[in-house]
Amino acid sequence: MAVSEKIVDGFHFMPPSLRAWLSKDIPKEAFHGYIPWTPLKRPLKKTTFSLMTSAGISMKSDPPFDVKREIREPTWGDPTSRNIPRDASQEDIDVNHLHINTDYIKEDMNVILPLTRFKEFEEEGVIGRLAPTCYSFYGFQLNPKELLDQTMPGVASRMHRENVEAVLLTPA
Amino acid sequence: MTPDYSREVGIPRVAAIEYPYGRPVGEVNDVEGQRKVLLEALSVLEKAQAPGHVFDLPFTWPEDPKNTKWHPPKISPIVKLQLEEIKRAGAEARQKP
Repeated sequence: MAVSEKIVDGFHFMPPSLRAWLSKDIPKEAFHGYIPWTPLKRPLKKTTFSLMTSAGISMKSDPPFDVKREIREPTWGDPTSRNIPRDASQEDIDVNHLHINTDYIKEDMNVILPLTRFKEFEEEGVIGRLAPTCYSFYGFQLNPKELLDQTMPGVASRMHRENVEAVLLTPA
Repeated sequence: MTPDYSREVGIPRVAAIEYPYGRPVGEVNDVEGQRKVLLEALSVLEKAQAPGHVFDLPFTWPEDPKNTKWHPPKISPIVKLQLEEIKRAGAEARQKP
């Protein structure tokens, strides 16, 4: 892939009308609120990572994300999360997401949940280790209250128990 | 992927990439391409020294947006519900100089 100086356009792939509609909700002024900040405690090669994506990935052994209710209630998005073990294989996972083409993730989950790449980095000493558990939630949340108040504390607790020090978040 | 949003919710560190929705790490089975993206993203952890920094990753997706099939096979429920509003927003944007 070509490498060059770049200013990322987040709407590059979006049809102009959708871009215009979504842009209306983004404040023009810069963000001045509180931003959490935890400095990196040690070099990457000693840091414990987890991965989390909003791609609607679940283990086939778990309930899928509830897209049927979203079809009935278009402003509702499933506020739950799923644990994805680090050794989950491509055959183990299901993907349910009504806002993207999920075919690519079903073929190679590393395009958004790079378990294999991070295990390679662990093996090569690029990172300390990949924690036992990674996570998915569902990236359509018009009202994220339940996601933040009910779901994410449990995710954070599990990360603490597994001594996670850094998380790569990959949006769908 | 949409750093405009990320800036506005106060994310500690952002590695922005101009890749299609659903594939922020790269193309299917492109091991080397995925590794390059992830190593750049990891480097942001070491480079970022203060909250709110956005680092634009230097990668270009090889397909034209019109040929990049990121869309769901069926129109999403919210877009279907808001279709008239979306068309109106698009028309207003086209009229602006």
